[in-house]
Amino acid sequence: MLRKFLLIALVLLLVLSVVACSQKTEELAKPEQTEQKQEQQTPDYPTKPIKVLIGFKPGGGSDALAQLCEPFLEKILGVTFINQYIPGATGAIAWTQLAHEAKNDGYTISVTNTPMLMTNYIMNEEITYNIKDFEPLANIVTDPGIIVVSKNSKFKDINDFLEYAKNNPGQVTVGNSGVGGDDFFTTLIVEKATGIEFEMVPFQGDGPSWQAAMAGKIDASFNNLGITYPQIKAGNLRALALFAEERTPMLPDVPTLKELGYNVVSGSSRGFSAPKGIPDKAREALIKAIEDMSKDSEFNKAAAERAMNIDIKLGEEYRKYLEEQEKVFIEIWNEIKDQYKK
Amino acid sequence: MIVQNLLYGLVNVLKISNLLTIALGTAIGLFVGAMPGLSATMAIAILLPLTFGLHPATGISMMAALYMGAMYGGSIAAILLKTPGTPAAAATTLDGYPMAQKGQAAKAFGISLTASFIGGMISSIALLTVAPLLGQIALNFGPVELFSVAVLGMTIIASLSRGSTIMGLLSGAVGLLLAMVGMDPITGTPRFTFGNIYLFSGIPFTVALIGLFSIPQAIRLIETIGNEGGKHKIDPIKERILPTIQELKPLIVTIFRSSIIGVITGIIPGTGGDTACWFAYNEAKRFSKDKDKFGTGIPEGVAATEAANNAVVGGALIPTLTLGIPGSSTTAVLIGGLMVHGIMPGPTLMTEYADVTYTLIWALLFATIIMFFVGLIFTKASIYVTMVSNRIIAPIIVVLCVIGSFAINNSFFDVLLMFGFGVVGYFMDKIKMPTAPMVIGLILGRMLDVSLNQSLIISHGSWSIFVKSPISAVLLTLALLSILQSTPLFTYIIKKIKNPKKIMS
Repeated sequence: MLRKFLLIALVLLLVLSVVACSQKTEELAKPEQTEQKQEQQTPDYPTKPIKVLIGFKPGGGSDALAQLCEPFLEKILGVTFINQYIPGATGAIAWTQLAHEAKNDGYTISVTNTPMLMTNYIMNEEITYNIKDFEPLANIVTDPGIIVVSKNSKFKDINDFLEYAKNNPGQVTVGNSGVGGDDFFTTLIVEKATGIEFEMVPFQGDGPSWQAAMAGKIDASFNNLGITYPQIKAGNLRALALFAEERTPMLPDVPTLKELGYNVVSGSSRGFSAPKGIPDKAREALIKAIEDMSKDSEFNKAAAERAMNIDIKLGEEYRKYLEEQEKVFIEIWNEIKDQYKK
Repeated sequence: MIVQNLLYGLVNVLKISNLLTIALGTAIGLFVGAMPGLSATMAIAILLPLTFGLHPATGISMMAALYMGAMYGGSIAAILLKTPGTPAAAATTLDGYPMAQKGQAAKAFGISLTASFIGGMISSIALLTVAPLLGQIALNFGPVELFSVAVLGMTIIASLSRGSTIMGLLSGAVGLLLAMVGMDPITGTPRFTFGNIYLFSGIPFTVALIGLFSIPQAIRLIETIGNEGGKHKIDPIKERILPTIQELKPLIVTIFRSSIIGVITGIIPGTGGDTACWFAYNEAKRFSKDKDKFGTGIPEGVAATEAANNAVVGGALIPTLTLGIPGSSTTAVLIGGLMVHGIMPGPTLMTEYADVTYTLIWALLFATIIMFFVGLIFTKASIYVTMVSNRIIAPIIVVLCVIGSFAINNSFFDVLLMFGFGVVGYFMDKIKMPTAPMVIGLILGRMLDVSLNQSLIISHGSWSIFVKSPISAVLLTLALLSILQSTPLFTYIIKKIKNPKKIMS
């Protein structure tokens, strides 16, 4: 009996020590931070591997961006990149860590994507970071929004679609990738610009949304070009309109909403950000590396193979972009939040 | 063209380097699968970034082989220790462990391995031959149909409630309630999260499953220390593992039925091995002559779940490769891997990237064969576990549970959550409340919630949408029949039809 008790105690001890260990590492992190400040004065950057926090699962869009850029950046900077995947709360767990826990020594950065980076905290007060906690380094890709329908759909072009929707308010079902995602906000922006009312169906990601449209379960899906392109090319989906500044060479026949007189430019963007207050040296080195990478023809070729639409915005430009986007999302959310916060 | 691609894939897969990576993947899968707490999805997620340096065909084939291997590996821990090695082996514990307790561990392994092999082969051949045809099934499953699948799945809870039905239903209801934790899929409002962002994405059911199944068992093992005399020690060398033809004959129908269930569950987007094993177990029980023996350690129970979870692998790859729609969460990770390699998942996988795709398909077939032989050696070795004292095994299980629950999201919160479920599971066991219904509630609850809301938005609030879709109507009818079947009235009617005189007199 005593032995049994001892063994249970041992297991408990084991558990507790694991808990203790994890706390210890957090405590240890603090003195290191002061060390880092000294390191800031040393001119060399980078001298050790750079950690990349990824707020989504391996193989997701953020991972794809990291895997695309890292080989090029490694060559330019001469250090390796280590990805750490912290999926959960649509990226918020990783970004909270970046804002509040990561050392701002330039050796921890994160893949930051709009609009989730902002909509997370705009929509949930429990999320405690905001873009002021970050040092935006550069935007790399923007996947423009797109409206797709099944190949068998009665909507042959965007005019069909908008006209029908106008005459049947609230009857046309359109899918999006989830509340707070880019497609969700794009739909709201389109509704506002056209005065049309859709029936919005949120899905768990872009995939289920286009799949439902392809099978005719819903009338249309507000999605992204890069994601739906293989199905459009294969003829399973028909693209009606693009939410970009201009037409894409990938789909030259698909008009933009801008051409039709609606000023809707929207999509999901991915780039890199660091915690606020990283050494200038590190910031400049990282931005310069990304700039060099963007001029590499090999990089552009690799991006094109992955149907990734390169949209480089460096440093301050990226910061301004994030701030403008934040304003737009806050405005929209304030208008509609009463419908959602019950 | 197709023949050419098929041959190209075959030749490519037969390269020594590819065969070796497939064998390595299968072996890693067997090992990871056999470790309680470590799941296939987790292993693939961790190892995937390492394969980015390999040729896409090699890297992805290795991951698919790992998937296949883990599906059998999961049963080893389930049978020996009553801790499912992977979520897809959770149902294997129900009959596998009682078999081991009766001293039939080796027999259980043999049946599990054979069933896994047949399930894997059937699904690989389906993938190789009729994939484009079957792929279309995936498209037919929209929110409405997924809702009905979830409803049908819920009826399994009734049949799993051995002993007290009330306890089983209560456990299932708690599972459903726990599935509601997290962001509301329709409004984005956090529910029952208490401001904790680690709960925003909901309770990961794998974490709950590790806690509910493995931790209580670790504690039970500790409790039995001192009276291990009754434990069946098996001599790994003398023991025969593979079943004889005579032993296999009565199981063959079950294995085939489960394989088909596995393939179809695999094809349906959003459902994988974790769901298929319960469906297969339930159907095996439904068609069995001695339903009461399920759960006491009968070969059918093991064969049903193990054939199904291996059949899921090929099934899940069918829509993945023909349409670019992942059939399970594991294949969703694989698709991500393809994208990182610069291969856009979609209908062009079968044409433009035929070299990679057909290599992968053949790799799966070879992985199944390799799994059978490596699995045989691996199983023989793993029988030695029965000779190890509980005082060593129990802490190892706990350690693996900690690693497994941490690695899913690299989150320490999940480890604490896992222990929470462990404690709950232990006391549920004490009051004879089954934990399996709670896991089913958790797995299906989220699907039920999301698809019900989506369906009602699509139908503008009309419930008739569930009977207007033929697939949904059939599934719901099946669900209704399942419920009626477990009521006393139904048993009475069946008896009356079969044997009218006996009842009358």
